[in-house]
Amino acid sequence: MNPRKLLFTVAAALALLAAACGSTNPTTTTGNETGTLTVWLMNGSAPQSVVDGVNADFKVKHPNVTVNVEIQQWSDVTTKLDTAFAGSTPPDVMELGNTLVAKYASAGALQDITSKKSSFENSGTWLQSLTDSCTYQGKLYCVPYYAGSRAIIYRTDMFAAAGVQVPTSMDELMTVGQKLMAKYGSDPNFSALYFPGKYWYAAAPFVWDFGGDIATQSGSKWQGSLNSSQAQQGLTTLNNLVSKLSRADKTGDEAKQDQAFAQGHIAMIIANGWEVGVITDPKSGDPSLKDKLDAFPIPSHNSGQSAPVFLGGSDLAVAAHSKQQALAREWVGLLGGTKFQSQMVTVGGVIPNTTTLVSLSTGLPAKFAAAAKVSRFTPNSPNWANVESSNVLQDMLVSIFTGKSSISTATSAASDKITTILNQ
Amino acid sequence: MGVAGDARARVATGARIEAGPWRHILARRLLPYALIAPALLVILGVLGYPLGMLLWLSTQRYGLRELFQHQGTFVGLSNFATILSDPQFRYVVQVSVIFTIVNVGLSMVFATGIALLLERVSRPIRVLLSAGLVLVWATPVVPAINLWQWMFDYEFGVVNWLLTRMGVGNFIHHNWFENPIQGFTVITVIVVWGAIPFLTLMLYAGLTQVPRELVEAAEIDGARQWQVFALVTVPILRPLFLILFSLSTIWDFGVFNQVWILLNQRPSKDYFLIAVYSFQESFRVSQFGLGSAIAVVMVAILVVVTFVYVRQTVRQTNEEAT
Repeated sequence: MNPRKLLFTVAAALALLAAACGSTNPTTTTGNETGTLTVWLMNGSAPQSVVDGVNADFKVKHPNVTVNVEIQQWSDVTTKLDTAFAGSTPPDVMELGNTLVAKYASAGALQDITSKKSSFENSGTWLQSLTDSCTYQGKLYCVPYYAGSRAIIYRTDMFAAAGVQVPTSMDELMTVGQKLMAKYGSDPNFSALYFPGKYWYAAAPFVWDFGGDIATQSGSKWQGSLNSSQAQQGLTTLNNLVSKLSRADKTGDEAKQDQAFAQGHIAMIIANGWEVGVITDPKSGDPSLKDKLDAFPIPSHNSGQSAPVFLGGSDLAVAAHSKQQALAREWVGLLGGTKFQSQMVTVGGVIPNTTTLVSLSTGLPAKFAAAAKVSRFTPNSPNWANVESSNVLQDMLVSIFTGKSSISTATSAASDKITTILNQ
Repeated sequence: MGVAGDARARVATGARIEAGPWRHILARRLLPYALIAPALLVILGVLGYPLGMLLWLSTQRYGLRELFQHQGTFVGLSNFATILSDPQFRYVVQVSVIFTIVNVGLSMVFATGIALLLERVSRPIRVLLSAGLVLVWATPVVPAINLWQWMFDYEFGVVNWLLTRMGVGNFIHHNWFENPIQGFTVITVIVVWGAIPFLTLMLYAGLTQVPRELVEAAEIDGARQWQVFALVTVPILRPLFLILFSLSTIWDFGVFNQVWILLNQRPSKDYFLIAVYSFQESFRVSQFGLGSAIAVVMVAILVVVTFVYVRQTVRQTNEEAT
């Protein structure tokens, strides 16, 4: 072999090798990394079998990397995230509620993955509103994970016994509720529509349905708009429903509503799709209710339509200070990819991150997915998380339901507060 | 040792200082400082450093971005200007002060009563009662508050059930936290319940030290029970009362757990005591500078209040010595 030929062969081999690496692994991980990948997921998000599956697939590629999946609680997660990001070793991957992303992206805590977007499966068909929640000032800071929307879960047996049908307008909802109250109301614990006073995710649809909004943006300035006449109209309708149909704690939150529902003294609750699982859980709920549950979208005041719902959900982000960026992105890619998103739909009963998989949902989850067709999102501002943490909306609802202040006073106070916080 | 004693001691050491060579003098003067230096260093590290950080933070604009980059912006006293002009903050301070007065007062009254009772009951009862007190004291705060929360629960609470059963009124679905006055009553019950064991045991220990002959002498002179208590027992226990009052004030002014846990970590602003408000601003709204400024004001108020107590104690010790 002459030297020239040898050189050519070596060059060709090198090129092949490089091409091989490039095609199997665009994120430049080689498979022999060591270390630990810390992942924070939220309580109730992914079924254990899905998490185990992702970890197993990850282990095949990276046998020497240990993945620690830690489950966090929604109630104190922001405090824990603040502390973790302030330290030098934040978790590598974290699930963030879609209303929290802007806060952390604007503070520089999350990795900018704009240039890596195309390396994620289905990134072209991600749900628009989740992608929007991941986008801050034109850059992408997370991968959509799953979405959830609320609908009304009801007891089919109670509806049958009271001789009522699924309502198709807000007025009908009131009529149906009153018939249920007439049938079962002698039970002092019975609520036709159980509505805890601080449950603002369930109150927002009433504001939106009448054409109101939480806040509007013009230029860079935000303006709280809950005191608009449309928003007040929505809240008046809701207040009527709550005062006539609900015996839930007017100052309570929705944390215990599934346990309360499982006790059997409630005909309807406004809930997420996954809450069906909590209600029928053998430990925390009542499995015998399984065949007596169904769901319908929150009806609009316009007969035949449904009210816009808050599209909740979560995104998966990589910490800017993570020392395992490539590995972290790969783990996120697995959980956000077709294989495990399909399982999230079939096992977890949530709405997947891509429109191509929505059709997989059947039965009850499909009704929740349908309810999400008309959905809205909270003001996409980094300060929105502070509105939530300051309990502005919760306090407003409690004042209205308890009659401590009139709807116009309560909404004006809340609007002013929202304007102040969003423009900080 | 009182003022006169100090003076005598100074004269005595002064005489000796004149007698020794200068190196000796220096060693003698420095030795006490050298001996307390390790303790002082620990105190400075454990108490001084966080307090210094707090003061420094209170002059910074320190939000989430600054936290992640470990770099704040100096804003002078503007955080203080912000909170002092905030009507919400004035409300919080008023509520905290009233809350503290009520809680310290009730804790001390109940503790004194139970301590007097402990002194008079038979031995087995005393052992039972003390055991009960110690058990309350030994219960960790968080589970204890959770238990109270269950008892006062809106739907499933035993208190509502019991009050309805006893015919006090219709308490089915009674909400104890809808009206802040009622809510604070529940919180006061929990705080006082938690404070009683320590205060009672301290006061009982104090009561056993009251000289029997003084009480007998007073009784022979025709003093009634309450007169003996007011004119003999209380003056003797005054230093103890002062310490317990100042400790209770510090604890009750800083009440946080009871409100935070009882109200599911989302208390409405009616329930903001100063510690809750400071936490809310710092960790919920991520304005750490503002939260620190609130904490500094809180410490300042406590310093002023406890200074009065401490001065009383010092003055009394001096009076006794002369």
